[in-house]
Amino acid sequence: MTPELREQVRIAAFAAPATLFMLVMFAVPLGDVFLQSISTKTGAGFSLAAYAKILNTPLFTRVAYTTIEICIGSTIYAFILAYPIAYFLAKQPPARRSFCMILILVPFWTSSLVKSFAFTVILGHAGVVNDLLGAFDVGPVKMLYNRIGVTVGMSHFLIPFMVFPILANLLGQPPELAKAAAMMGAGKLRTFLRVTFPLSLPGVVAGALLVFILSLGFYIVPALLGSRHDVMLSQLVDFYAREILDWPMASAIAVVLTGVAVIAAVLLSQVRGGASILSKEAR
Amino acid sequence: MEQRASPWRIAVNASAVAILIFLILPSLIIIPISFGNANEIVFPPEGFSLILFRRFFNEPGWVESAWLSFRVALWATAIAVCLGVPAAYALARGRFPGKRVIALFLLSPIMIPHVVIALALFVYFFQIHLSDGMLRLICAHVVATLPFVIVTSHAGIRNIDPVLEQAATVMGAPRVLVLRRVTIPLLYPSIISGALFAFLISFDEIVISWFISKAGYTPLPVKMFSSIKWEVSPVLASISTMLTILSVVIAVIVVLILRKQSDREGAGRS
Repeated sequence: MTPELREQVRIAAFAAPATLFMLVMFAVPLGDVFLQSISTKTGAGFSLAAYAKILNTPLFTRVAYTTIEICIGSTIYAFILAYPIAYFLAKQPPARRSFCMILILVPFWTSSLVKSFAFTVILGHAGVVNDLLGAFDVGPVKMLYNRIGVTVGMSHFLIPFMVFPILANLLGQPPELAKAAAMMGAGKLRTFLRVTFPLSLPGVVAGALLVFILSLGFYIVPALLGSRHDVMLSQLVDFYAREILDWPMASAIAVVLTGVAVIAAVLLSQVRGGASILSKEAR
Repeated sequence: MEQRASPWRIAVNASAVAILIFLILPSLIIIPISFGNANEIVFPPEGFSLILFRRFFNEPGWVESAWLSFRVALWATAIAVCLGVPAAYALARGRFPGKRVIALFLLSPIMIPHVVIALALFVYFFQIHLSDGMLRLICAHVVATLPFVIVTSHAGIRNIDPVLEQAATVMGAPRVLVLRRVTIPLLYPSIISGALFAFLISFDEIVISWFISKAGYTPLPVKMFSSIKWEVSPVLASISTMLTILSVVIAVIVVLILRKQSDREGAGRS
């Protein structure tokens, strides 16, 4: 063994305990879910019955459709709300930027339960928004336990995840480009539409994919702010696993969910700047 | 550059400030409600009292759940740091084959929906007869927090100039000594922010705990989830306030640590 190789083996050994733990507590259980999904209910032999069954279950197709609808909707709203913040932050001097970052980090780190609970107060029948609307003789509008509640709650949760990649992209743009556009007579709006925004698209795509992946797995927000018409796939996994006790069915749904997330993650790793979200290896 | 307030600038600033208010509003609105003297959830609250906080400490179950969550988070953080920091070191400094695969594997729990991990552990714990309520939660929370510890310490190690370690090695220090006297002291800020991050993730973790927790071992988020779903107890306002304060304190500490670190780097470059 060459000294260089021995050195590398020694360094690699530092990763061994973590890898071993994750093999036992993560890879094996996950592999087991996959096996469950292709096994028969009695446990003998392989079958794709569970997948055939979910495709023929109206409950699954309806919930899958709802999930895609909610995820795409929240991703779009999160983008619309995150971009102005990222753009604003990119223009601020560093001191004020780190103050504003706290305003983003606090909700980012606040428990999703606390946020959902707060939204029941804000969006409720006698909540803050309806009080305000009432002052203008509008409403009350039902915003809780329906699609509005779920979309507001999820977009709110996802905004910070969209801000970070867009902000990183905007801060990485050479300021000379915008200046050059201004010198050549472009107005601020035109500079934004023709220079800054197109250049920021990799950040936008990275953020959108990340947010979409995260939104697929939402459980708390639809459970607390939605109705039975807003049930998402995560809740269906819970339903089959713990109420019907149909593990192959629950596993098949989990595998589908993971598959979609993995495809989105692979796309994310292909985007410029996206790979560094997945792993810092890209640097 | 001209600093005149153009319509474009006004539009950008106004919408950004409005969205920032929307972002922070849910975290803030709970605080005044929790100090209200009514035994119901109303905004704006009437009067001032600590009645909801008193109820949190007196009603059975809440303090026990919080204490359980605290212990689980402490254990999970300690284990995640002990496993994650060395792994991050190997991934940052090593050039061994299979490194990228191991990195992808160790970080993959970030990308996989928590409900899938929850189902997997729910079935797995049943199969291996792991029935200790505490141990189930700790193992699951290490899986959920480990990737974040690795990401933070990996970034930290990347920022340490390998020349410093090489210098110590050249002067004859064995690897353990180099790690203890050079690498780890330089890495403290990243380890601390990673640990705080892990603690908060574990303390707030809900979906996995909801699947695998056993009777008598109900972590605080699971108890809160049931409470919001079934009764919406006003005590939730006082718990939410305390959790928000915890998040604010941790967020501020991490921002300060990161700022100090980038200041030091900036000073090093100039």
